[in-house]
Amino acid sequence: MTQLSQVAGGRGVSHAPPSGRLRDRARPWLYLAPVIVALLVWVYGPLVFTGVLSFMDWNLTAPHPSWVGTDNYTLLTDDPRFGEAVRNTLVYAAAMLPFATLVPMALAVALWKRPGRVSNVYRTLLFLPVVLAPVATAVVWQFLLDPLSGLVNVALGWFGLDPRNWLGDPSSALYVIVLITALKVVALNTLLFGAALATLDRGLLEAAALDGATEWDITRHLVLPHLRRALVLLGLLSLVVTWPWIFSNVAVLTQGGPDGSTDNVYYRMFLYAFAFFDAGTASAAAVVITAGLAVVLGLGLLLTGRRQRVVT
Amino acid sequence: MSSPSRTDARPAPALVAPTLVAPTQLAPAPVPARRGTGRRIARTVAHHAFLLAAVAVMVLPVLWALAVSFKTPGGVFDENPLPWPATLDNYRVATQDFPVWRLLLNTTVMAAGATLLQLLFAVPGAYALARFPPRGHRAVEALIVVTLLVPPQSLIIPLFLMVTELGWRNTYPGLILPQLVGTGLAVMLLRDHIRAVPATVLGAAVLDGARPGEALRMVVLPLLRPALGAVSILLFITSWNEYLWPSLIAPGMEDTTIQPGLAFFLTQEGSAYGPLLAGSMLATLPVVAAYLLASRRVTDAFMHSGLR
Repeated sequence: MTQLSQVAGGRGVSHAPPSGRLRDRARPWLYLAPVIVALLVWVYGPLVFTGVLSFMDWNLTAPHPSWVGTDNYTLLTDDPRFGEAVRNTLVYAAAMLPFATLVPMALAVALWKRPGRVSNVYRTLLFLPVVLAPVATAVVWQFLLDPLSGLVNVALGWFGLDPRNWLGDPSSALYVIVLITALKVVALNTLLFGAALATLDRGLLEAAALDGATEWDITRHLVLPHLRRALVLLGLLSLVVTWPWIFSNVAVLTQGGPDGSTDNVYYRMFLYAFAFFDAGTASAAAVVITAGLAVVLGLGLLLTGRRQRVVT
Repeated sequence: MSSPSRTDARPAPALVAPTLVAPTQLAPAPVPARRGTGRRIARTVAHHAFLLAAVAVMVLPVLWALAVSFKTPGGVFDENPLPWPATLDNYRVATQDFPVWRLLLNTTVMAAGATLLQLLFAVPGAYALARFPPRGHRAVEALIVVTLLVPPQSLIIPLFLMVTELGWRNTYPGLILPQLVGTGLAVMLLRDHIRAVPATVLGAAVLDGARPGEALRMVVLPLLRPALGAVSILLFITSWNEYLWPSLIAPGMEDTTIQPGLAFFLTQEGSAYGPLLAGSMLATLPVVAAYLLASRRVTDAFMHSGLR
């Protein structure tokens, strides 16, 4: 019986018979060891390594690093381009937020309201931006946004608007990158909101409808509250997971330009490391990014009162 | 109108069971039937207009890439969006002048390897956390969740140096092993799925004398097959679309994966847009196929996750 309660969902090991106690106590750690070791080696080790490197001067092409104290951080604060990258990063994150939360939530609710074959077709088509190759995504938008013949400018022309060089103009380039990337974010998060909705009991809503609740009542008081947790979680996670997509678009389309207007901390870090081969400064940038993100996520969780169970 | 309640707008009126209880007794129609019908039609139109508009925007780049991949070199910059006259030349150039098959093979090995490796590490851990969590399981869970909040890009420098030190540049281990960075997500998703396996099912197995290891192999894993499929597809798509890591660790024309490889079509002398997009279609097809085969399951992967 003891074993049953353990294997079948029991929590404690305290009731184990004396003979098997040590083994029972060691067993979970045996199962957990691989993943703990993997994360220590590939996440926590590198995190510490980055911290140490940020106090070193290490040209990646030279053999030996040397200790330079906080010089790398001074270099960052003195570099106006890094300051601009930080500001741009905040604009990126803020501009992306509705595309990680409200837009996909509206789409997921609409799909969920009328289940069936038609909605499944919509759902599949809406996921497509995620699977389009990153370089292809960027190149297609280069076509569509072409200042002269691009479809976007042609379409704007139908409404009497003048063509613009959307990616060549420092005042619009960042927002264009956000919009291009937003397609992938919306696609993924629509699926995730859909998963959250799949656990909502339709019978409950039928009952509410029978009691005379209007469709808006049901959406407002049952569906949206059910999604609040997903909303907070996906909003915060978008601060972590959208950067690879933004990165590939910036790398192919603008390389941070024009005038550094699409630069961000991740792209700048990449430049420090792999264009200037300056591992120390790049690591200092990585530390600033990680610490800054930790503060933002911490504040976000604190403000939304969801400290205990983020993903667990 | 068979049922005046508003629920009949949904295609599942059976749940209202109109044959058992006359709905009119429970919910008298709050509006005259005719006005209700008109409003319902308007609502249906608005519903489809909203979703069709979204689909149009979301699918446009994909269709555009598909169209250009069939255009002649002269037609690439045409204002005519349709690929007419159509040609397979771009696919020929992509597969003959560029090592696209080789890159697709590399990508397949990397993505499959990374997926299997992450599952191998994640399943036992998830099982332990779901079924016999040790005393310190909260700390372990915190250790895992924190890894989900670290942007992988901020680890790229130490990972690059580690892989270089191990002599793994331009190798499959160098491409695959650092992707263990993402194992935490698989653990958390699978833990929630294993928790959803009814305790009685497991209990029966244990009463029959199964040890935890046997219960995992003979009861949990078979029951978990749909969830494993869903999580696998998710991990596979993520790995398949990886761009930055392969471009740093295996930049060579023959050694890299398809995502950075597509950038070879963009050169200073001139960019081969047609072949690039043809190559990207070849890179997209396997993922679309995987998604179509199990699109419901991909949603299910998150069913028991903390999203609800």
